[in-house]
Amino acid sequence: MSENISAPLAKTRARPVFRNIGFAELANYRLPIPGVASIVHRITGIALFVCLLFLLAMLQMSLKSEAGFEAFRNIVWANPFAKIVLIGLLFAITYHMIAGLRHMVQDTNAWLDLPTARATAFAVFALSLLVTALIVWRLW
Amino acid sequence: MAAASKFVSEWWLQRISAVLVTAYVFLVLGLLLVNGTPNAMQWQALFANTGFKLATLLAILATAYHGLVGAMHVWPDYVKNRAVLAVLNAYTWLASAAVALWSVYILFGMK
Repeated sequence: MSENISAPLAKTRARPVFRNIGFAELANYRLPIPGVASIVHRITGIALFVCLLFLLAMLQMSLKSEAGFEAFRNIVWANPFAKIVLIGLLFAITYHMIAGLRHMVQDTNAWLDLPTARATAFAVFALSLLVTALIVWRLW
Repeated sequence: MAAASKFVSEWWLQRISAVLVTAYVFLVLGLLLVNGTPNAMQWQALFANTGFKLATLLAILATAYHGLVGAMHVWPDYVKNRAVLAVLNAYTWLASAAVALWSVYILFGMK
């Protein structure tokens, strides 16, 4: 008897919840490329900020004296691991810059429609990889 | 009102500093691409030039400011714990100030 009364109440309480994304879907969810471009802009920004002090340390070393410059070459430039990190940072600055220019165009409400947002996000990746490769090829 | 106008000027300075750094990066990468890998003498001669020193200082100060504003906006989107956030904010301020002061020392105070 009491069940009959509470049943409709319970039903109204159990309203469906619409989340942006469910935990089960998370594994299959692919962030759209403009979203990837945005999060990579943030990641490269933080990476550059955190590494800024190390970059300054390297600049100081390279400017201290001729011996300091050679020490930089031997310790940092001749070390494959350090070189890969530096190339990563080169990509970070190139990417962050080009993606930043895209964001500033979007500040003016241009390039916001989906096909253009997708195309320019893709272009930012292609262009920054190309520029990074060009510099690495020239300075390796 | 005061908070809103602070946000607007921050927004503009964030973009102005970005354009300054971009111009400097174009300059340096252009020089490196044209001239190839420098040796010690060429590299240090470049940084002995007062105009280039000032451009470098401006670019590093703009970078420090740009990073300060950027990081302060990014941390609270991901870090919800107030104590951790306070540590990150303190680190951000200290690192930016250190970069700014250290760049003056490297360019104008060293040797």
